[in-house]
Amino acid sequence: MILKIAWRNIWRNITRSLVVMGAIIIGIWSIIFLVGMVNGMIESYIDNAIKNEVSHIKIHHPEFIKDKESKFYISDIANVKASVDTISGVKAVSYKTITNTMISSSHAGRGISAIGVVPKDEVTVSGVSNHIIEGNYLTDTKKNQILISKRTAKKLKVKLRSKVVLTFQNLENEITMGAFRVVGLFETGNNIYDESVVFIRQKDINNLLGMNGYGHEVAILIDDLEYLDQIQKSIALQFPKLLVRNYKEVQPELALFQSQIKMVGIIYMVIFMLALIFGIINTMMMAVLERVRELGMLMSVGMNKGKVFMMIVIETLLLAIISAPVGLFLGYLSTSYFHKTGINLFFYSEEGMKQFGFDKFIYPNVPTETFWQLVVAVSLTALLGSLYPAWKAIRLRPVEAIRGSFTSEKTRIFSRITNYIQYKLFNSKS
Amino acid sequence: MSLITIKGITKTYNPKKIPVHALRGIDLTIEEGEFTAIVGPSGSGKTTLLNIIGGLDRQTKGEILVDNVNISDLSDNKLIDFRKNKIGFVFQSYNLIPVFTAAENIGFIMLLQKKSKDEISKRVIELLKSVGIEEQKDKRPNQMSGGQQQRVAVARALASKPKFVLADEPTANLDSKSTSDLLDIMENLNRNEEITFVFSTHDQRVIDRAHRVVTIEDGKVISDVKIKN
Ligand SMILES: Nc1ncnc2c1ncn2[C@@H]1O[C@H](COP(=O)(O)OP(=O)(O)OP(=O)(O)O)[C@@H](O)[C@H]1O
Ligand SMILES: [Mg+2]
Repeated sequence: MILKIAWRNIWRNITRSLVVMGAIIIGIWSIIFLVGMVNGMIESYIDNAIKNEVSHIKIHHPEFIKDKESKFYISDIANVKASVDTISGVKAVSYKTITNTMISSSHAGRGISAIGVVPKDEVTVSGVSNHIIEGNYLTDTKKNQILISKRTAKKLKVKLRSKVVLTFQNLENEITMGAFRVVGLFETGNNIYDESVVFIRQKDINNLLGMNGYGHEVAILIDDLEYLDQIQKSIALQFPKLLVRNYKEVQPELALFQSQIKMVGIIYMVIFMLALIFGIINTMMMAVLERVRELGMLMSVGMNKGKVFMMIVIETLLLAIISAPVGLFLGYLSTSYFHKTGINLFFYSEEGMKQFGFDKFIYPNVPTETFWQLVVAVSLTALLGSLYPAWKAIRLRPVEAIRGSFTSEKTRIFSRITNYIQYKLFNSKS
Repeated sequence: MSLITIKGITKTYNPKKIPVHALRGIDLTIEEGEFTAIVGPSGSGKTTLLNIIGGLDRQTKGEILVDNVNISDLSDNKLIDFRKNKIGFVFQSYNLIPVFTAAENIGFIMLLQKKSKDEISKRVIELLKSVGIEEQKDKRPNQMSGGQQQRVAVARALASKPKFVLADEPTANLDSKSTSDLLDIMENLNRNEEITFVFSTHDQRVIDRAHRVVTIEDGKVISDVKIKN
């Protein structure tokens, strides 16, 4: 019976109910969308970082990561690769020689990292080969090819098929040089990364450094991130003298980003709840004040306070119960639509965002927990928001309520304050 | 045994600030089966008296027994149950539940009393008939005239089979046709089902229909006339 009154009361002042329900729907929808966007953005960032640079697991000489000096190499690196390749769950493995070099053209020179790769292995692990915008990726056969980024090419004023000279310091601390021909230009989208590396064949670099068979880094991609720790452990067991790290250890900011996604969602939710709770209190307060006579009558004829209280609470909860699924559904629908098509968010500032390694397109992706967190948040907000109006309702004295002479000064001031806060919150959000 | 016994009731509003002495010592007994009008000019204390009899408000001094219960002794919660089970209320401004139909409004208190569905629907039909609004049973209050709404209110007041019905100016918002129709209904219920009615009014046409007229002025009973019908 209480449920029946509460339900019908919702439809009594349709405009008012629709405003609250609309606020809940839009709130839920926008949170899902925002969380999806942020999540999608960060996922793509992490994805790019893993593909282009970090990979899932890396093996180094323990000293190498501190100084990046050529002498901290892994000897017989091809064997390391071969045995990692046999571990189940490993998707692809490549190894490289990394050293600092001076790249110079007839116009300019710059310090840069030279990465010596085995082209046929490298394409399976690194995404750089997918970002060639001119020319081709390195091949296994030809000598002294070099792949540089478009940005580096611009700085050096070189083109495809130009010659550049790389200057190294070999293991004996002697200076060696090699002339390389630009076979391709790449652009990963991450400008910082692009300007800091060039790619050549491992064979060529090893010849110049005089370190045949050695290398500095083994990069591993795995099939399923769920087995990351397990695979990392079994590699570490096989090579106790080498340093085996996963991508979160290699680039701690990636792990930080991942945990930040969760925070962002929670912060949005708290802001939303705050805005919503004042809206709900205000609306239900109006509903109570409008029905003073009726509530007085209900209490006069024998409806007890518990029932009156429940009636207001249930009415509020019903508002949330009706609108929350709509918001969740709209959020789900729109994010899964854009998850397929992608959103071109950097329409205006493509360059700006690229610098930081973000993709031009965002594919919103909402973690499932966001949905149930929202359900809990909205129900809780509705419940909390209904308590004060419900308490006000049961404090009515039937005699006075029947006369309809109830609106205390306090109540009016309170309603004005909630109106003001609500206004402020909604306006500062947009 | 009297149904309602009132001894030396006074009521002072705002006792601390500017006291308003609404009732200044009322003695009154009402027997079962009466059809009594409380009359008096505006501000004389009619509403105040009915509220105290109905357990909606508490007197400042004096004693009141309703159906042998000293209602001043009842806690607020007990008083709610007492009102629910013993008293039927009809208010001046109809005061129906706007989101309920006529039939639902009538059955409402029986739902509060946790009566069975069958019993409720039987009684609702019976009451709709006796107040002559069977046709309006699925209409909501705002789709009915004032007279029809007030009949629903009378039916609702009777639904719980109360000891008596209290009606504060039940006809004040009605035209004369609706007023006399409503009084016919009330009088019939009083005669045929022996339902006790205590109602306030300052309408002479209503006063003329009462079987007993208690006149109060300035918070005191100034005359009490029984008219045998
Ligand atoms: N809550 C209250 N606070 C202070 N004074 C009140 C209150 N209710 C009623 N009064 C005063 O008590 C006196 C009696 O009022 P009451 O409403 O009982 O009169 P009434 O006979 O019902 O009048 P009416 O015919 O206008 O309905 C009046 O002077 C009124 O102003
Ligand atoms: Mg009155």
